[in-house]
Amino acid sequence: MTPRACWDWACERTGLDRVWDALMARHIPEARGPVAWFYALGSATLFVFTLQAVTGALLAMNYVPSPDHAYDSVRFIGSQVLFGRFIRGLHHWGASAMVILVALHMLRVYFMAAYKYPREATWIVGVTLFTLVMGFSFTGYLLPWDQKAYWATMVGTSIAGQTPVIGPYMSKVLLGGAEMGAATMTRFYALHVLVLPMVTAAALGAHLFLVVWHGISEPPRRKEQGS
Amino acid sequence: MTENGSPEEGLSRRGFLTWAIAGLGAFIAAALGATGTGYFISPAFGKREEDWVDLGLAKGFKQNEPLKVDFVERKRDAWATVERRSSAWVVTPNGREFVAFNPRCTHLGCPYRWSSEKKEFLCPCHTAVFDIDGRVVSGPPPRPLDRFPTKVVGGRLLIQPAASKEAA
Repeated sequence: MTPRACWDWACERTGLDRVWDALMARHIPEARGPVAWFYALGSATLFVFTLQAVTGALLAMNYVPSPDHAYDSVRFIGSQVLFGRFIRGLHHWGASAMVILVALHMLRVYFMAAYKYPREATWIVGVTLFTLVMGFSFTGYLLPWDQKAYWATMVGTSIAGQTPVIGPYMSKVLLGGAEMGAATMTRFYALHVLVLPMVTAAALGAHLFLVVWHGISEPPRRKEQGS
Repeated sequence: MTENGSPEEGLSRRGFLTWAIAGLGAFIAAALGATGTGYFISPAFGKREEDWVDLGLAKGFKQNEPLKVDFVERKRDAWATVERRSSAWVVTPNGREFVAFNPRCTHLGCPYRWSSEKKEFLCPCHTAVFDIDGRVVSGPPPRPLDRFPTKVVGGRLLIQPAASKEAA
């Protein structure tokens, strides 16, 4: 079978060509100059998220979420595993890029008023995704179990502990006990690699569906006369 | 500036962008795919670390008198270091050449002992008998006693206990 015949075979049985057209051949607003680049921020975020998923899965193969071994296993990845430093570097810098890109993406949508009718649902899911990215950052920051990780999480959970009335309980739920330790690490790790990715995948699917379904909003036009 | 260029020019703007995206995408996929695959399959090419255990001064062993030496084997297990208590029967015919036997009988892994009266290794489980060179004298063992590699460095006897497991 030629590639063409394979493609036709698959299209006839799955409607793949129509999915492809809906995703790749859809109409997008005409934007010129530097402004056009702002429209790439969402795709850039999606790319970095994929990168984080791939490098994260690889890192999890050699990582132990336990105070005994976390730091040593991270060092092991960096010094003993082939390309380990590179893969961990991608995950490390990708995490920062993720936060920067979602923030810029959000600002783009806000300043271009793209969140308005009929795209409110896309915005709401987007804000949820932003919160999830913050969750990834917070839980992932603890995992190397170095001084920075330890004290940053100490500060973060203490902030949660300052909430009136329920604060002490929230702090204990986050820490998995009264103090930071082994239970905190396994808890953060489970959130980082199981809970958050699953919720994010679902929200991401909804977000992308809505983006394609509504189409991309036009860039705002300058009024001819002063407002 | 035309949006799509003319077909006669050979490469249209759209065509150029398509190739640029495909090229960059392929480059990223290759870079990530190659390093990721390398990371994933690297254990297949890892060398086994040589763990030599110091059993003390070579002069301390009497000739033709097997001695059971207990030692703590310290092994690196990826990021962790694990300790394992183990032992070996050390025999030297002349004080210069050494043989270290795995202390497990080659039949079913029972620990055997040296009988200084009979000058033989005796296994209590199934009455296996080995001579001082580890050869099977009688009983069910399928092969002579397993040996650990030995070497003498700076007057000290070193053995490599991990190596015989692969031979077994």
